[in-house]
Amino acid sequence: MLSVTSLDVAYGNAMALHGVSIEVEQGQMVFVAGRNGAGKTTLFKSIAGFLEPRSGAIFFEGKSIVGLPPEKVALLGIRYIFQDKRVFSNLTVRENIELAAYPVNVNMKEAVGKVLQIYPKMENFLSLRAGSLSGGQRQILLIGRALIGNPKLLLIDEPTEGLAAGTINDILNVLSAMKGKVSMVIVEQNLSVVGMLADKVYMVKEGKIMKEMVEKAEINDKMAMERYL
Amino acid sequence: MINTIAYGLTIGAILFIISIGLSLTFGTMRIVNFAHGLVYTIGAYMIVSVLPIVRNNFILGALIAVLAVIPISYVIERFVIRKLYGVSIDYAIIATYAVALIGIDAIKWIWGASPIPLSDPVGIDVSFFGITLPLYRLIIILLALVIFFALSLFFKKTMVGKIVVAALDDKDAVRSLGISVDKYFTYVFVIGSSLAALGGVLYAPITSVHPYMGMMVLLVSFAVVIIGGLGNIKGTFISAFVLGMVMAITGRFWGPAAETMVFVVMAIVLIFKPIEV
Repeated sequence: MLSVTSLDVAYGNAMALHGVSIEVEQGQMVFVAGRNGAGKTTLFKSIAGFLEPRSGAIFFEGKSIVGLPPEKVALLGIRYIFQDKRVFSNLTVRENIELAAYPVNVNMKEAVGKVLQIYPKMENFLSLRAGSLSGGQRQILLIGRALIGNPKLLLIDEPTEGLAAGTINDILNVLSAMKGKVSMVIVEQNLSVVGMLADKVYMVKEGKIMKEMVEKAEINDKMAMERYL
Repeated sequence: MINTIAYGLTIGAILFIISIGLSLTFGTMRIVNFAHGLVYTIGAYMIVSVLPIVRNNFILGALIAVLAVIPISYVIERFVIRKLYGVSIDYAIIATYAVALIGIDAIKWIWGASPIPLSDPVGIDVSFFGITLPLYRLIIILLALVIFFALSLFFKKTMVGKIVVAALDDKDAVRSLGISVDKYFTYVFVIGSSLAALGGVLYAPITSVHPYMGMMVLLVSFAVVIIGGLGNIKGTFISAFVLGMVMAITGRFWGPAAETMVFVVMAIVLIFKPIEV
């Protein structure tokens, strides 16, 4: 479904990614793990069209998406959920959903239903300003919003970052429920979360893929993963 | 003193009409647009030129003047502003300042450099509660209120408005939903420029029309935007009226300090509420 090959990305003269290659199959939940500054978000920004790679290829469903602007990439079915739980804080939760439904021509009833399907409690917050939601609720709104219009691939950047343990469980429940229904690439530093959900893990360090893990025993071995951080 | 307050409200109303476009452009595109003052000046010159053609029908003249500015503002957006999205703010200042200077020279070439006076298009005074006020100024104040409520409604109720509000918050997140924000920025730019032109049209009968009128008002407009908050319609509205009043009251006691006082207020506000650009 998604094939990234030998991707080199730089900010000016500073190389951020060196020959990165990843593969994501239909319905897979793939994790990209690594420390801060390893290049995880740069990889996402390159796939989503926010950064143009210096060299390398990105194919989505057999078509090259290098050079496409972010809005075109999104309309192909790739939804990028940013780090830091960036909802539109001056709009209500309902308006946040409305905005996601608009470019994919989904009616509001169906769009709201999509969000309530993964988190029924959101019904109580529909009229509230999204900026007043807790971190966990914002993250769930972002995931719900991204699911509108039946995307094919979600790029989720640090979904559990800065959340309390109880809230992380809510996010894990949402992600578990989505597993197999939509392909996902998730950037995550919490290796326990990675171990619980991943079908495949790429360990990233200093802009390079240090290790690709597909065996369940390997993925569940936190100590083994830490060696590549 | 009551006349001073009335004058302050008029200045505030004009400042709001001009500044709201600047605020939205600044807020959504992060572009400091010096060409905004040019559009205001062109609006004023347009009404001067159009009035004799429409037999001094001011409403029709104003409509034609504002409509005539739309293609000019579109050209500025399409060929200058759009190239500046996402680049350093310095480039935007230099490029739009250059557009303003070219425009001012073109105005001097077409209309000449001498100030052109324009008479009050209504020419009636109204008295209420012991205050006598030119009806024209009252109309300007009411028009500013109507524009404020119309814009508030536009940004709250329409999809274009909601997209712009979201883009003010996080442009990249809007793009990641599949929405091309550039198209909406063009709408915002044209709406803002049309309002600036309307400001020029409305202010022309109060002041004299001259090539540099836009540059003078632009600096005060920047102060309005900075105090009111980037892209904040309510903040811009309040800020415009407060600064209009500051200018009028300072001007009553010490004329030369009227505009300086605006920047003193801006400096005080910035000490307590720094802005993020």
